Amino acid sequence: MSARKKTPKAAPVRIDDELVTFAADPELAEMFVADGLDHLGTIEQTILKLESSPADLSLVNDLFRPFHTIKGNAGVLGIHSVERFAHTLETLLDLARSGLHPLGAAEIDLVLTAVDVLRLMVKELPARAAGKAVTDVSSRCEALMASVDALIAAGASSRPELVPERADDHADNAVVSFSEQSTVKVGTSKLDALVDMVGELVIAQAILAENPALHRAGDERLSRQLAQVRRITSDIQRDAMSMRMVPIRQTFQKMVRLVRDLSKTFNKPTAVVVTGDDTELDRKLVEQLTDPLMHMVRNTIDHGVEPQEVRAAAGKPATAQIHLKAFHRAGGVVVEIGDDGAGLDTERIAARAVAQGLIADSSALTAAEIHQMIFRPGFSTAEKVTELSGRGVGMDVVRRNIETLRGRIEIQTERGRGTTFSLHLPLTLAIVDGLVLRVGQDRFVIPTPAVQESLRPRPEDVHTTYGRPCMVQVRDRLIPLLHLGDAFGIRGTHDRISDGTVVIAEDNGRPVALVVDELLGKREVVIRSLGEMFRGVAGIAGGAILGDGRIGLILDTGGLLALASRAPSPVAAEREIA
Amino acid sequence: MTTIATAARPSSGTGATASSGKYLTFVLGREEYGLPVLKVREIIKVMDITHVPQVAAHVLGVINLRGRVIPVIDLRRKFGFDAQEHTERTCIIVAEVALAQSTVMMGVVVDAVSEVVNVAASEIESTPDFGGQNGTDYILGMAKVKGGVKILLDLDRVLGSDGQLAIRPV
Repeated sequence: MSARKKTPKAAPVRIDDELVTFAADPELAEMFVADGLDHLGTIEQTILKLESSPADLSLVNDLFRPFHTIKGNAGVLGIHSVERFAHTLETLLDLARSGLHPLGAAEIDLVLTAVDVLRLMVKELPARAAGKAVTDVSSRCEALMASVDALIAAGASSRPELVPERADDHADNAVVSFSEQSTVKVGTSKLDALVDMVGELVIAQAILAENPALHRAGDERLSRQLAQVRRITSDIQRDAMSMRMVPIRQTFQKMVRLVRDLSKTFNKPTAVVVTGDDTELDRKLVEQLTDPLMHMVRNTIDHGVEPQEVRAAAGKPATAQIHLKAFHRAGGVVVEIGDDGAGLDTERIAARAVAQGLIADSSALTAAEIHQMIFRPGFSTAEKVTELSGRGVGMDVVRRNIETLRGRIEIQTERGRGTTFSLHLPLTLAIVDGLVLRVGQDRFVIPTPAVQESLRPRPEDVHTTYGRPCMVQVRDRLIPLLHLGDAFGIRGTHDRISDGTVVIAEDNGRPVALVVDELLGKREVVIRSLGEMFRGVAGIAGGAILGDGRIGLILDTGGLLALASRAPSPVAAEREIA
Repeated sequence: MTTIATAARPSSGTGATASSGKYLTFVLGREEYGLPVLKVREIIKVMDITHVPQVAAHVLGVINLRGRVIPVIDLRRKFGFDAQEHTERTCIIVAEVALAQSTVMMGVVVDAVSEVVNVAASEIESTPDFGGQNGTDYILGMAKVKGGVKILLDLDRVLGSDGQLAIRPV
């Protein structure tokens, strides 16, 4: 057990002693941690703003207040390590907001580092209270506090003449304005449970509505009442979903911080322009978006943004610009991350892809197809492995993550002008608009955004290899054919391809033609994960509970494409075209 | 966290042994098996099972258990018995199975459910050593109850050992 000083005067105490109150009241403890992390987020956001407009003293005030609150709350709970640390920083900020100690680069760096340490301390409190081993930050705390003291000592003497531009001394006891909407804090698990229950309600309602007994009854009043229930159910569903929607702000804020840190490490001055950070999307989606976005920001700074001298030679502004943008489009959300850097080097990527054996020859590929190579596993253009990228993991992981979220990535790039990655994402992960297909006695759901068209193939359009049907011609395109019944070993499907229906689906610009028996219609389905036991089933993304209560499997186009590109199975051999 | 989760599981080989307590017994072919009652969530009639492609042969698919999607395993196939048409006595036992990191619900198709029996420690024989790879890893012990021998199963090993049910593409 590591020892920690209680107050400067007191003897060292065992860390658990200061957590007695914290451990005794789990509810209070949980609130303290949640609030604390919230405040630290605010602090981080504010200080990054302050960095670009250092003269704005109201920002310093905004910075002071959350520190003050954290200190106060920690004091109430008797968590002296946090209290003392927050207090030291508060002292510095107090001087700053009264104009006695302007916040320079050193101070800002210090506060940011302190926020990181404080966040770690707060995050690990529950573990500490449970008696588990946690990161020992005491020496880092002491060092930081010593630096703060040193800065105060140096700063106060050197710049005492600065007069506050707009010091708002009375604002720290935050008067809540009455226009603010009142809010209730609810645990995310409760919210998730609610959304799950509502999902079940929707299913139960649908099962009821499809009950054949109802249609036989032909009672008009009954159907009216049912329609009423359906309306209310879908209203509840919409509201429940909206409760789980959060703005993407926090994620963007993390990226801004990351850019700031990386631009220093790489010595590539970079500014971030954020737009649409109030765009809301499903909390789960936001959570799962953070990692891919971080990868992409790293890649952008490492590969996208040129070194300073290259920028100077090209006559570009010394400070590079990265834009982060979120907006709604066509029932989904688009998140863009763009830079004004070098743009993708098509030839270099092609050469690299050939050298790494990913493709045999690049001459037949379009520039867009070559750009897609950066998402291939193992692809890397970096000649040397840096701390940040070039290990050949990254963009393929990013793409996989985005696809798990049922999204896709588009690249726009121009040599010398920059690159923009657009992530097209659904609003929520819980519901998907899908096309229900029948194959034999089984039903499958394919997400509508992945479907291009469906058609009944003419026998002469189906082409064979080794006597097996493997391509279908649609207008001027040849599309690989996948017989779902054969691929999935389902009996009782159509014998002839021309008797079935072909659904053209697309994944990342690559089409695949799925042979199915029948289209059963379009509907919204509630997605259920098949659980970790079924992870890795090729071509299947999850399950959906259909109107009759049975499960239809949701198809994953990317996985199907991989199946289609494999050699045709022997079962497929006997299938007739017409 | 991870280390705690794995450490809590029987380490390997002959780690787990049967303890006295209540066991749910069921029939498979001409043998009687037992599962610790604490593991069993409910027993349901065989319902429509959605077949999942490209999984091991003993995995029948998934069912909708009041809004939850759970995998269903055919214990006959898992143990290499001949397949048999489902009868009206065929049941799905829904049980909790511990995987490396988490606990999941799974359905197990058995020929028939018999009863819940109390097994005293004195009635339990340790797993016989059949020599070689006879799958005794799955067995907690043998219980001599009411003149018959019941094979007490370690369901976590029977099902959890699969980890993932998908067959990896070759």
